[in-house]
Amino acid sequence: MTAIQATGLSKSFPRLFGEPQPALRALTLSIPRGSAFGLIGPNGAGKTTFIKLLLGVARPSGGEVQVLGSTPEDRAVRARIGYLPERLHLPDAWTPLQFLASVARLKNVPVEPPLLERVGLGEATHRKIGGFSKGMRQRLGLAIALLGKPELLILDEPTDGIDPLGRVEVRRILLEEKARGATVLLNSHLLAETERVCDRVGILHLGRLVREGTLQSLTAQREGWVVKFTGGGDPAACGFVPHADRWTFDRPDVEALNAALGKAREGGAWVTEVLPRAFDLEDVLAEATR
Amino acid sequence: MRITLHVARDLLREALARNWVLGLLVGITLVLTVLGLFLRLDVVDGAIAGSKLFGAMLFDDIVSTDKAMRPVYMVAAGIGFFGGAMFLAVACSDFAPSLLSPGRIEHLLSLPVSRWQLLLGTYLGVLALSALCTAYGALGITLVFGFKTGFWTTALLGGSLLGVAGFCALYAAMLTSALFVRSAAASSAVGLLVLVMGILASARAPIEETLEPGLGRTLFHYGVQPFPRLWKLAEQCIRLAGDENFNPGLTARLVAGSLIFSLGMLAIAAWRFEKKDF
Repeated sequence: MTAIQATGLSKSFPRLFGEPQPALRALTLSIPRGSAFGLIGPNGAGKTTFIKLLLGVARPSGGEVQVLGSTPEDRAVRARIGYLPERLHLPDAWTPLQFLASVARLKNVPVEPPLLERVGLGEATHRKIGGFSKGMRQRLGLAIALLGKPELLILDEPTDGIDPLGRVEVRRILLEEKARGATVLLNSHLLAETERVCDRVGILHLGRLVREGTLQSLTAQREGWVVKFTGGGDPAACGFVPHADRWTFDRPDVEALNAALGKAREGGAWVTEVLPRAFDLEDVLAEATR
Repeated sequence: MRITLHVARDLLREALARNWVLGLLVGITLVLTVLGLFLRLDVVDGAIAGSKLFGAMLFDDIVSTDKAMRPVYMVAAGIGFFGGAMFLAVACSDFAPSLLSPGRIEHLLSLPVSRWQLLLGTYLGVLALSALCTAYGALGITLVFGFKTGFWTTALLGGSLLGVAGFCALYAAMLTSALFVRSAAASSAVGLLVLVMGILASARAPIEETLEPGLGRTLFHYGVQPFPRLWKLAEQCIRLAGDENFNPGLTARLVAGSLIFSLGMLAIAAWRFEKKDF
């Protein structure tokens, strides 16, 4: 069962002069129900455009997208989605409870005041939103997204502006939602956050999906080695690249590594440590978008 | 319809929290308070024998109450129609651009709400706001003068409804323009332009006679034709308030003209909104 199925999805934005500007190019992606999927990529990669297409806020130029088994235009489907935009506009003169009630009416779900407590706004229920900090606004946005226990949560930078302890709370909430069975689509620039919450990750670059898979499969690649030398010699001349107090060797094959190590030793260097290079999401992103 | 009314109600609630709406309501209340407290009307046997404001004599002619009140209500209706339309064209210009602002429109469209429901809800919310403001002023004036003179009429309230019928054409054009250019200034300018064109459309025949036959006259003829005849509507609003030669048949046609123009504008807005990516 898939929560999101995009097939050959493309989106171009028309320009006054010249060719249309492509934002997404033939993206094919399947996100299983109940998973937490992290969407990462540099600015302008097409992440927000993809989210807008999922919600029917923008229409695709080509291909198709299915969300929870139907099209995004289907209102019944949108009632099952919780969405937090990157910059949610909030009515300053209202209280969080009033805004929550207003969205609940539009979604035709009961108002759930405990949601405000869950996101850490229990003390501010009757305060005007106008006096809220950026982090408090973001928490309210999260509460709005959680209204009606949605089957699919689409969150665009949910911890933007939230303090480190608040981020831990948000992460806990997202994991609770995932445990409840909700599918989470997380678009975040904080890669550590994506690593902690998501089990699958997709990397977008220039409108194309350049990597996709489980976090393990993406980061478990051993595409190199980290070596520590002491003594003299010139490891750089043997193919090693300086990296902090160590050297990296980008070729994965052991034969090449040993040949380079031998050459470095001949030059007077002593090898004190050799480790396979462990890739994290940052390395994967850098490598995928190079 | 339930969702449309929710959208309208939310807009009304948001508007009432804004300073300019509060300012308008406070302003109307102040005028009514001044009239209520400091205007003295001496009524003897159904006639006004003298009127004083802040103790200074305004009139000392003896006039029957209904005759004396007519011009007052007519002036109030005229100011309400044109002053109200101009004030609201500026004051309500921000609603549609704000609805379409980044961070708000994406969130609204992600909810199980149709685009036409958002559009109609916004339109009805602004109309409800204009009706609320004009009805508040009209009711206040009716009550103040009713208690002071014993002359009661619902004419000014009827006139305020005609004012709203005129404003609905302005706001339909303003809402439509916001879907093409998301700017409060442009929206306001379009509203005021419709008001001017509506005045010109009311005097189309006499203005045409002053123009040389040819392209200019033809352009003027067809240029003002789609616009509702707002000056004529204002005239009927004033006549209704003053109970003087009011023509219900003509008024019905003028209101219908304003509504048809509004529906046309809303149809363009709905088409544009449905096609638009955010």
